[in-house]
Amino acid sequence: MSTFKDLLRVAFNGLFARKVRTLLLLLGPMIGVAAIIASVGLTDSAKGDLKAKVNKLGTNLIEAAASSSFGGQNPTLPTDAVERALTVTTVEKVSAVVELTNIVVSPYEEASDVFETVPIPVLGTDIYLPEVLEVALVSGRWISDFDAQKGARSAVIGVGLAQEFKFLPGEIRTIELRGIPYAVVGILDSVELEPGFDNAVFISFHSAEIDFLDDDAEPNKMYVRCVEGTEKESADALRLAVNLGGPQEITTEIKSEALELAAQSDRQLQLIVISMGLLAIIVGGLGIANVMSISVIQRSAEIGIRRALGHTRQIIAIQFLLEAIAVGVIGGIMGVLLGMLAIFIGASLAGWVFVMASWLAPAGIILAITISVLAGLYPANRAAKLEPLETLRLG
Amino acid sequence: MSTVTDPSVLMELSHVSRVYGTGEAAVWALRDVSMVIRAGDFLSIVGPSGSGKSTMLGLLGCLDVPTEGTITVGGEEVTRLADAARTRVRGQSIGFVFQQFHLIPHLDALGNVETALLYRSLKPAERKERAMASLERVGLGKRADHRPVQLSGGEQQRVALARALVTEPKILLADEPTGALDSKNAANVMEILSSLQATSRAVVIVTHDASIANSAARKISMLDGGIVTDEILRR
Repeated sequence: MSTFKDLLRVAFNGLFARKVRTLLLLLGPMIGVAAIIASVGLTDSAKGDLKAKVNKLGTNLIEAAASSSFGGQNPTLPTDAVERALTVTTVEKVSAVVELTNIVVSPYEEASDVFETVPIPVLGTDIYLPEVLEVALVSGRWISDFDAQKGARSAVIGVGLAQEFKFLPGEIRTIELRGIPYAVVGILDSVELEPGFDNAVFISFHSAEIDFLDDDAEPNKMYVRCVEGTEKESADALRLAVNLGGPQEITTEIKSEALELAAQSDRQLQLIVISMGLLAIIVGGLGIANVMSISVIQRSAEIGIRRALGHTRQIIAIQFLLEAIAVGVIGGIMGVLLGMLAIFIGASLAGWVFVMASWLAPAGIILAITISVLAGLYPANRAAKLEPLETLRLG
Repeated sequence: MSTVTDPSVLMELSHVSRVYGTGEAAVWALRDVSMVIRAGDFLSIVGPSGSGKSTMLGLLGCLDVPTEGTITVGGEEVTRLADAARTRVRGQSIGFVFQQFHLIPHLDALGNVETALLYRSLKPAERKERAMASLERVGLGKRADHRPVQLSGGEQQRVALARALVTEPKILLADEPTGALDSKNAANVMEILSSLQATSRAVVIVTHDASIANSAARKISMLDGGIVTDEILRR
């Protein structure tokens, strides 16, 4: 034990005696570890943010859309699609929408020329949409049962559109849909899963049928909340239940999976940054091997005298290896701190929550030590092989 | 071998030869040398360049092994030992002083002396105490925290002496100890060396300087890899 303490003391003396050289040696493992920690931590923080979003939205939202494998125009779902969907036992809530086409939306009549070229989606929907999407209204209310049944011309607009039209919250306004004035009864908050809704106008199916459609409104999309954990089965069952062997085709998408898929692309970037960090560490390791090899030559007289004083080859080798390990430990710790700082700065700038996996810090330090040991092996071996008689240049 | 049991024999060389290179290029640096170093010896080994005295120093210091013959230190045949064991014998029995001092530049005087006591399972306090005592012995107690560059040549050599003595070696090997010093410092170092004469220890000075050699009590003259004379100068 006291031998080990002696070894440590000599290693640190050796490092402290050459401060600039030691500092330069530290840079390699430090930058490498910092890059790896920062890239993993930043993507984790971003992912953590995404996870928080998914958790807020719930993982159990399924989107079921009409599709046509034969390339038919405007495929639709059956008019009773919602009722059919509700026959699936794991389905809890359903809301349907139909996208209406060719409707010019303008805040007031005179502005229609300006907004003619701006496509604003108008959606016919039912009274359940905010409940299924679990989105609140910024102000006002959603389309009511009364509106839906009587075809009252009331509309809810997305928060983005409200800003564009400069609607104040709670302001009593109308909106022109293909020249027909609709009362704006509410403003819907932004929907993470459907960014398009931010700029959309929602009206009831009934109004859509009366004002814009020739016949019964056939929805082309449904949003379904199922029992948590049954997303896959529910999606499969939905396709069958809605289709019922009929001509209408339906595709389903679990929204949280789509979000996670988006996160996958970040992983590519993360991999690139990690490999760059690894490269930095390896280059740093080569630097350690290089500088320490030169150091062995410079210190050959010291090695010689130590050997003469009774220090064995083994002791000399461990001595040099310990110097390399110390560089790895210190460089690794500094790299972890630097990496954490980078995550902290990056996360605060992006407004994410600081996320750093607990394994990241020890892994970074272990990596730095491993590289340092590998880099120190060659110079340590060379130092041990020196013949004291040759290095002392006896006169 | 009767000498093995003789406690006054610190080191014995028996028919020792050292050959560098092989075949046509072989150089016999030392040829069939036999000698004994006894406790109380104050011995000089003198000879011109190429006489084999440096090779001799390497062998006496257990830094090298002979091609032929045997060397025993304290009754132990070091020529049969592996490198690590020979290193241990060297650390325990032999102290070195070199012409170029060979102090470790980044350590202070005390640290340099302490280096000889590392890896010996000593408590740091005890090691420091012994190193300090050794420095005081050569009159450098007040220079303990000076680095080699802050010391004069004579002082550096005295630190080297303190380092060599701190392990209480049986044999002190000095290689041209005054070679890099002016006459005043040289005299000072020689004075310390001669004062180290003790019944339990031997001091061996390897030199090419006849006047240094003649200040010893016993002188071995070497030429062409062999011992020419081995004479007692004083009792």
